[in-house]
Amino acid sequence: MFALTINNIIFKSPILVASGTYGYGHEVSDIAKVDELGGIVTKSVTLKPREGNPPPRIAETSSGMLNSIGLANLGVEQFCKEKIPYLKQLKTNVIINIAGSTFQEYIDTIELLESCESNHVGYEINISCPNVKKGGMEFGVNSEMTEKLTSNIRKITNKLLIMKLSPNVTCIQDIAKAAENGGADAVSAINTVVGMGININTRKPKLYTAMGGLSGPAIKPIAIANVHKVYNEISIPIIGIGGITCAQDVVEFVLAGADLVQIGTYNYTNPNIGIDILADLENFCKENNIDNLSELKGKVSYHE
Amino acid sequence: MIYNEIATVVSNCQIADNIYQAYLYSPKISKESKPGQFINILPMENWINVMRRPMSIASQEKDKISIIYKVFGEGTKIMSQWSENDKVDITGPLGNFWKDFNTYHPILIGGGVGIAPIINLHNMLLSMKIEHHLIMGARKKEEHFMDHDPQNNIFLSTDLDEYGIKGNVLIALEKILKKRNTDKHKIFTCGPPGMMNAIANYSLINEIECDLALETIMACGVGICQGCTVTLNKDIKNDSYREKYALACLDGPVFNVKDIDNVCFNH
Repeated sequence: MFALTINNIIFKSPILVASGTYGYGHEVSDIAKVDELGGIVTKSVTLKPREGNPPPRIAETSSGMLNSIGLANLGVEQFCKEKIPYLKQLKTNVIINIAGSTFQEYIDTIELLESCESNHVGYEINISCPNVKKGGMEFGVNSEMTEKLTSNIRKITNKLLIMKLSPNVTCIQDIAKAAENGGADAVSAINTVVGMGININTRKPKLYTAMGGLSGPAIKPIAIANVHKVYNEISIPIIGIGGITCAQDVVEFVLAGADLVQIGTYNYTNPNIGIDILADLENFCKENNIDNLSELKGKVSYHE
Repeated sequence: MIYNEIATVVSNCQIADNIYQAYLYSPKISKESKPGQFINILPMENWINVMRRPMSIASQEKDKISIIYKVFGEGTKIMSQWSENDKVDITGPLGNFWKDFNTYHPILIGGGVGIAPIINLHNMLLSMKIEHHLIMGARKKEEHFMDHDPQNNIFLSTDLDEYGIKGNVLIALEKILKKRNTDKHKIFTCGPPGMMNAIANYSLINEIECDLALETIMACGVGICQGCTVTLNKDIKNDSYREKYALACLDGPVFNVKDIDNVCFNH
């Protein structure tokens, strides 16, 4: 009912977990059936370790949260030593999210991972982190840079290559097309939306970096719109991300044009949500005589 | 092992002005909880907010844990309305726990919202027959739920009212320390940032060992969101990870005073 193949990789469930909302999987292995997910996208890995931003790094908002973690991670070398052994024994697709501040950093990081004994199926390239000065965002807002980065990475890996798109651009379709032209197998959309909150008593921003990324149910309509815009312009698969908390949300993303989805912020509330909602999703399909969820891709039907 | 349990509310009573204690039937979490650890609570089903509410464990006995909380915002307001037999989604036990109370004479200092892990440690030391002092601070008399009992080494301090020792917890601490000069002491504390900052400075100046249970904003509680950052007393090195910025959920909530930077108390 849900199986889908992209670039020879089989996704047994359409529900993956979004980068930065699931660590490297082992953190939640006591309380979530990680193997039953369609896939796990790791926290961003960079060439060198990163401390990330000073606190406060998160703040709650209406139906969402702001974050400015700043790509805190242990760096690719430690990642290979400490995290790959756990990820290797998972029975779900492991996709490694990569961030960098220069072309060479992306390339060097991926080359190290290619030479590492691992069975990850692909890479999701973060060209849209709003929270660090050089978090790849300069790639994500520029079509030429996106195409060039995509094609450079394409040359060094045959694994699944997904470019993660930012909503903080003038025309997301152009960036999506650039990723497609560069040889990406899929795009994922959206990353967080630039946001800010202010404590009215201290008059300080709620995040140390002042602005950060808004995520959670609050951004779902923005995500649906962006997925739909991209759907109308490209032919490679789309992975929808933004505020999913239930099976109905998954269906909505598919109708907008998504092939797969990632659950993000809601993993903080329930790391097993990606598995818990599968039964509901199955029921929806049965009740609507849908043999495979992918039948609904892009099937939103406009008002006359 | 971390568990996600649908706990049952056994009781939920107001124990002082705006302060509640809820007992939750949670056979798995209670079995493995230690004083200092916390649970992450979903205050109600279908809650529109995306962040659980982390709360220190105030007691763990056969099949039950309790939390003590001050009604402060949306989450705690919902919690104060829990009734007997309500089901509550909780995850835990999380974080590290109090230790090293055998080698020093423990002085426990709790205040405001930070009383739960202190009460828990106090009761554990009592059951282990480890002699110690307990100081509980509050602004007003009505916020206290224990009796001032110096004979049993329990001291209450009250900022605004004449109840127990008049003044803040530091005044109570100095009074206690003046009478004792032989033992090596160790402070275990949890409370509002201002109180902990003062205790941290006092312990550093007077060279008294001190562990603090820190409260930070937190989302996941299990190390995935990396939002509950605690700034450590180290310089930022190039290419490091969690050496300058620790996580309250994994590396804490209990930290030694010498390890943390005092900016921890500023937000």
